[in-house]
Amino acid sequence: MNLGGAQYSQSGSPRQTASEGLLLSVIVSTLNSKSTLPRVLAAIRGSELPRKSYEIIVVDDASADGSAAIAARYADTVVKLTGHPAGPAYARNRGVELARGEIIAFVDGDVVVRADTLPRLLAVLLERSDIDAVSASRDESAGAPNFVSQYWNILLSFGEQRHSGRCAQFAPGCGVVRRAAFLSAGMYDEWRFDTASMESVELGERLLGAGHGVILSPELTVTHLKEWDFRSVCQEVWRRSRVLARSLGYLRMSAAAPGEVVFTLCRTLIPAVALLGTLLLAAAFVPAPHPSAKFGVALAALLLTNLPVHIFYANTRGFWFAIASAPLHVLAQIVAAMALCSGWILRDVFGDVSPDATTQAYSEVGLEIWPPVPRRP
Amino acid sequence: MLRAGVDAILYQDSLSSPTDVNDHESEQSLVMQEDRFVLTQASSARYAGPRRTPRKSLIVVLPENHVVSADLVVERLSDEKDSDQVDVILACAGQPSSIAILQRRVRDLQILLAPAGTSGEDLRELAMNQAPGDIVTLLSGTPT
Repeated sequence: MNLGGAQYSQSGSPRQTASEGLLLSVIVSTLNSKSTLPRVLAAIRGSELPRKSYEIIVVDDASADGSAAIAARYADTVVKLTGHPAGPAYARNRGVELARGEIIAFVDGDVVVRADTLPRLLAVLLERSDIDAVSASRDESAGAPNFVSQYWNILLSFGEQRHSGRCAQFAPGCGVVRRAAFLSAGMYDEWRFDTASMESVELGERLLGAGHGVILSPELTVTHLKEWDFRSVCQEVWRRSRVLARSLGYLRMSAAAPGEVVFTLCRTLIPAVALLGTLLLAAAFVPAPHPSAKFGVALAALLLTNLPVHIFYANTRGFWFAIASAPLHVLAQIVAAMALCSGWILRDVFGDVSPDATTQAYSEVGLEIWPPVPRRP
Repeated sequence: MLRAGVDAILYQDSLSSPTDVNDHESEQSLVMQEDRFVLTQASSARYAGPRRTPRKSLIVVLPENHVVSADLVVERLSDEKDSDQVDVILACAGQPSSIAILQRRVRDLQILLAPAGTSGEDLRELAMNQAPGDIVTLLSGTPT
């Protein structure tokens, strides 16, 4: 199978792995993932790679559910962080500090890889010297069967499938990167990203900026098990959009990572607003329309501008799923727009995100403790 | 994930020198907790307060009919800068036959004994619950 120019052998093992010992360090950051961790780690161990060619390092970000003990059943190394959760960027960096492989794979604690995912990702790096980081996109099937999880996974998948290839979209779910490139880019930004938000996209953008090749493979997919509900989707959209506006810069990231879900949500808002404005202007020259007509026009404008998304839903889950997801999509768009505005205002008033005063003070004096104080990039 | 009723005994290597034990600044006593025997050793007191470096543990997992090379364990320990500070736990199922060499070569070896038939995964989980380290490395034995 051809993958971005790299040939993946059916044996499942990139050629170099068997003879050269440990090659890959798989880092799994986890926070209260007791329910998903066994499946995630078993899937990694089921990879079509010689067992001696990779190590599994699980970094437990101060879980309260005993994830570390579950991780020990499968992992080679378990790092137990204490205190309050410091975020996946921090946890993954701690894992890299212990990693012995020349290539690092990041897998989230709720992401299930297929048996050939890691070997094929590895094959891309081994066979293409111009690529330093490659990640798998998510498949449309959500691990959780509820409607909102299905909606959210398909939406993320839509962006990743349409804008795959060379981009800053270093997917947090499952991606591999050369250790040297990762270190030279300054690792994950654990200073600004203390929760899961867009730390991987930011890393991808830095890697690209430093001249490293980063690609998102549309062919390689992984399954995300996280269960989403209405509230958590709104929170996620809010968090991502605000971080984008406040810390990363909308226009810069729009060019670097066009597949990001915030752009999927907001890109269509601009033509929708323009269309609505035109129609309202036109309405000034005709007799006052019925209120339902106004509502219908607004709805039609939104549906029209979001047509590619709705068609993708219809193709993936059927016509009625597309119809049912339309109101949720409009709501997500409104949340994203509000969060972007809030992020821009916060940036103008308070500046970029920074850790709390205690962390900044510890960092200033260079205090050496374990777990370490988040490091400035 | 553990089978109910797994009994395990964790004890300190009897060959440890008295000085080493005193270094722990803690009393040891064998008590029964939740259907199993554990060695209550206030190892946390040894590290009480903020630490500058992470505490490290090495768990050697030996299910039934598995062996581990003492050289391999010593080699893994020597990879660490401060190998003296690494807690080593040998988790084995049934009566291990060939751990005498390991006991001689690894200082302060703690042994976790679980009933025969306990799986490797269960041993790992049991030992993980006892390991005081912030960074825990797990090393599996090989089948005989």
